[in-house]
Amino acid sequence: MRPGQHEASFFTALSVMAYRQLRSFLRMKARLVMSIGRPLLWLFFFGLGWSSTLRGPVAQQALRGMSFMDFVVPGVVMMSVFFTSFFAGSSVIWDREFGFLKEVMVAPASRTAVILGRVLGDSLIAILQGVLTLAIATPLLSQPPTWGLPVALSAMFLTALAYASLGTAIGCSVNTIETFQLIHITLAMPMMFLSGAVVPLYTAPLWMKVASVLVPLAYGVDAARTAISGVSLMPLWLDMTVLACLALAFLFIAVKAFERTTPL
Amino acid sequence: MAEPIIEARGLTKVFGDLVAVDHVSFQVRRGEIFGFLGPNGAGKTTTINMLITLLRPTEGEAYVAGFSVLEEPHEVRKRIGVVFQEPTLDRHLTGWENLWIHGRMYGIERSELRERIDMALGLVELERWAHVPVRKYSGGMMRRLELARTLLCEPEVLFLDEPTLGLDPQSRAHIWDYIEALRRDKGITIFLTTHYMDEADKLCDRVAIIDHGRIISLGEPEELKRSIGMGVIYVRLTMPERAKELVGALMEEGLAQDFRVARGARVALFVRDAPTFIPRIFDIASKLGVPISEISYHMPTLDDVFLRLTGRGLREAEAGGPWLSRRRAMARRWRA
Repeated sequence: MRPGQHEASFFTALSVMAYRQLRSFLRMKARLVMSIGRPLLWLFFFGLGWSSTLRGPVAQQALRGMSFMDFVVPGVVMMSVFFTSFFAGSSVIWDREFGFLKEVMVAPASRTAVILGRVLGDSLIAILQGVLTLAIATPLLSQPPTWGLPVALSAMFLTALAYASLGTAIGCSVNTIETFQLIHITLAMPMMFLSGAVVPLYTAPLWMKVASVLVPLAYGVDAARTAISGVSLMPLWLDMTVLACLALAFLFIAVKAFERTTPL
Repeated sequence: MAEPIIEARGLTKVFGDLVAVDHVSFQVRRGEIFGFLGPNGAGKTTTINMLITLLRPTEGEAYVAGFSVLEEPHEVRKRIGVVFQEPTLDRHLTGWENLWIHGRMYGIERSELRERIDMALGLVELERWAHVPVRKYSGGMMRRLELARTLLCEPEVLFLDEPTLGLDPQSRAHIWDYIEALRRDKGITIFLTTHYMDEADKLCDRVAIIDHGRIISLGEPEELKRSIGMGVIYVRLTMPERAKELVGALMEEGLAQDFRVARGARVALFVRDAPTFIPRIFDIASKLGVPISEISYHMPTLDDVFLRLTGRGLREAEAGGPWLSRRRAMARRWRA
């Protein structure tokens, strides 16, 4: 062994943190099962329940001609990506509570690399969950997605990146897991309903449409729905551009929030 | 003397209106085991946190391995290893995975890291537990794993904050052996804090005794113990209110060089020759009519040094009032 002077490159630090987030998540069996189970519950109870009710001309108008399943599957997929990535930010609080954060802080690794790695790892977890949900739900669609698959994946990735960053920024700024949960649920519920993930916005009142413009998830849901079911509210390029910008902006906020927690 | 590997000059940390560390200055020589001994809340952890770049000093400066903690924290981090008071492991991961992540964070190449992990786990005798999640480890095993983790990159300075806090006697002895082996075999400089005087006495080449954020004494354990005389006699009285009177008479006779009245009617007398003095103390006490309920003597310990310097025993200082526990909570808050 040679003494002293060890330091990881930016990329190594980033990838090892991403690896750690993934590994840690995969170890928690209960969380793993829950994270797959929850979207399935939505699909079966909410999806199957409404799909037999929402037929007829009014429903057709509200859903722009899609079957309810074609409407709701992309929504539930994005919703699961959203909830998982957003909540993953709470891991910062656990890591502070259980000391692991100190181990990271005292390491000679770039703070930016550390936080990017965490966000990336959290995003990968969320995407994994979205992909699994989509795979299970594919038989419920009127036709399986083809060209849209890579587009849907990109939308998932950008959405996950945006919300994992936002969650991490919040996690860096609050002290207790209870506060985080409170903020999470207060932000997540309106975002979920305004995003058009499970409630169609096509015939929604104007104020609701306006409000939804402010919700990043709305662009992700719209992009995924365009890609999977072929019906869009906004042009795909606009969805993706807005998503990418938001993801970058939230990433920047997360990096700053993390730097603020360290004195030197 | 060679350049010190750690140097603190007027290091100070203030939390609100509380001075946790108060203009502390000291030097640590390369290759020595240097200890900070003091009761909980004395400012030990706060000092460590400033030295390892996790806390910005309010005032003063510090150099570790030749780099300023304030100006070049990244260079300092490259050269140090830290074992914190509380575990800093990812409990969901196995011991092996924790070491892997650490090694990669410090830029050790994969193939080399695999070898080093095996070696480090072997050193702390945790090979059989390598692939078990850390949450199933005992406190002592976690501490050993953390020690192994810091050895992956052979730091120039190893910081250990209360390395045996809360461990059973066997685990403590184990950790002590590892620490001594590290210094002996690898020449790593070790800076440790402890509130156990036996630990400081056994392990440290030099000890700084710290109380209320100030260093009140610094030197080799033997030297510190010699400074208070050849022995310490403890006298317990049934009438504590008469302690002053008895001590006055003993001092007059030249039987004690110094004394401290500790809690529980216990008087500590720092003397030159305890065995021959004991009968004379009885004589004087009976002449005065002050009944002695118990008398004992022993060779000076670091605890006695602390008692002489502060008027409190280390253990008494520990059981401090509410302000002490508040002080401790503040000191723990490294992200202040």
